[in-house]
Amino acid sequence: MEKRLIKKDALAGIAKKMADDFLVWAPVKKEDNVLFAPLGRNDEPFFSYLNSKNAPKNVFFPHTETMMKYTRTEKGMTFSAEVNKAEQSVLFGVRPCDAHSFVLLDKLFDQEKYKDGYYIEKRKNTTVISLACATPPYTSCFCTSVDGEPVSSDGADILLTDIGGDYLVEFVTPKGEALSKYFGETKADAQAESKKAEIAAQAKEAIKSKIPAHEVKPILDVNFDNPFWNTIHGKCLACGTCTYLCPTCHCFDISDEVKGSDGVRIRSWDSCMFPLFTKETSGHNPRPSQKERWRQRTMHKFKYYVDMFNAISCVGCGRCVMYCPVNIDIRKIVQDISKL
Amino acid sequence: MQNPYIPYPVVVDKIITEVDTKDIKTFRLKFVNPEDEQKYAYIPGQFGELSIFGKGECPIGIASSPTQKGYVEFTVQKAGVVTTALHEMEEGTLMGIRGPLGNSWPLDYLAGKNIVVVGGGFAFTTLRSLINYMLHEDNRKRFGNITVIYGARTPGLLLYKDELAEWGKRTDLNLNVTVDKGDASWKGREGFVPAVCKEVAPSKENAVAVICGPPVMIRFTLPVFFELGFSKENIITSLEMRMKCGIGKCGRCNVGSKYVCKDGPVFSLAELDKLTPEY
Repeated sequence: MEKRLIKKDALAGIAKKMADDFLVWAPVKKEDNVLFAPLGRNDEPFFSYLNSKNAPKNVFFPHTETMMKYTRTEKGMTFSAEVNKAEQSVLFGVRPCDAHSFVLLDKLFDQEKYKDGYYIEKRKNTTVISLACATPPYTSCFCTSVDGEPVSSDGADILLTDIGGDYLVEFVTPKGEALSKYFGETKADAQAESKKAEIAAQAKEAIKSKIPAHEVKPILDVNFDNPFWNTIHGKCLACGTCTYLCPTCHCFDISDEVKGSDGVRIRSWDSCMFPLFTKETSGHNPRPSQKERWRQRTMHKFKYYVDMFNAISCVGCGRCVMYCPVNIDIRKIVQDISKL
Repeated sequence: MQNPYIPYPVVVDKIITEVDTKDIKTFRLKFVNPEDEQKYAYIPGQFGELSIFGKGECPIGIASSPTQKGYVEFTVQKAGVVTTALHEMEEGTLMGIRGPLGNSWPLDYLAGKNIVVVGGGFAFTTLRSLINYMLHEDNRKRFGNITVIYGARTPGLLLYKDELAEWGKRTDLNLNVTVDKGDASWKGREGFVPAVCKEVAPSKENAVAVICGPPVMIRFTLPVFFELGFSKENIITSLEMRMKCGIGKCGRCNVGSKYVCKDGPVFSLAELDKLTPEY
């Protein structure tokens, strides 16, 4: 597909122009954080960010989402499904690791038998524009160990790569190409492409943090009861930060809220780190301590998801590593498992 | 395509208090839109999410058999928020059900075999569905001998008492009902389920045991069946886990790489051996 060049300082203008026509989610500075948010008229997108604090999964899978509404009648309740139409949107400037997470989440939410319309509708109507990591942002990044690359179009409809003074714009899918009019007229030349290849190779090389993510699968297959699992969770606070920030964590709760005679059924993010997550009415809890919860989280990413969908459910963004308040490091866990 | 998170509207048509402690009731639900009954075509062993607006949902095994037309039944113990609300409901109330969810008792595998059904206490509900399905005149020929061993702690805690009486009159069913401890009016058998299984000693020849009950019953019943020579492929049970979505997405009911809601709840012991022991 076609490739173009845009001047580096043109990017914010393009995002804002798109925001006149669509709902545009772009990185914006909020206090000390960079977060993806709908771009308002007076907002300035912030593209010189490293990575957003939250993974942008909330664009397709919001923290809280209404699934249906109901109204009290004399005989009980009548209900109606929440109208599930997503507006045309653009997710502008996500990092390739986060774009990779969408491919992984698709496998779960868009299965053949049970389709999750809430997720699919938003995903279908959103064009993903990835912003390649020409310089890998953090020392905790390990995307190359989990089938990712800092300059990758995986999960993206358009890929933007900083090649010096310009961005190389690559239209990856027809959905991306449909937005080509926003990206000027300058065709990319062979020189730009070879520059991109050079930058991609350098960026890949610059990722120094590596984990044996594929190698641990057969080890996890036979080590459910290994005493190793006693060694991870001791300092875990069960705060759930790792799952909250994780681009691929998808667990949710379903609950009802009533106000007067009207109510809603909502789903909200939940976490396997929480004791109540699996606690049954009888009091029985199949994962009674933080040990079992950590085993679940590790197994889910590096074994169960592989069994179910033939893909590791980790994109190497390093958020859980950076923001864990007690410095539990998934990279070390995987490394330790590889030595079992 | 049907949104799998949205329940079908149903009316509570009939409520039957099953036990003398009054905390287990059977709810007969009728679809508000008759065409929904077709969409809710189920197989014994499957479950549904009972939906009470303002309270939430809870997963409950389907207690009726698909051969019973016009309604779906769930037998529910009063335990948490949703089931307590359900127990306080009156006939005529509007509520919702989702499903049918999960796999089912493996009817095709059971066909042509002798079936031993072992149930304990309140876990008899989806077994009742299976028994009524097999006993139906359209299906009875597809199955060999049917042996049922069902126990409760007291006579007052036995479910489906009228139906048990009817089954007792049949000649094409070997029914063994037992209670841990009888009372003045109890004329039936006394003894724990594992002991009764040993006494009845069903043959392993061309036979499958379908077992559901509290963990303590399962623990002592399985050795009896191993001793009788039943293979792990031919002992089948059903798991329970905390569930929300019921369709393998919300992430809480997995046992290893299997979601109990979607890949279960029915597993053979041979299948369970391959899963991680976390349930």
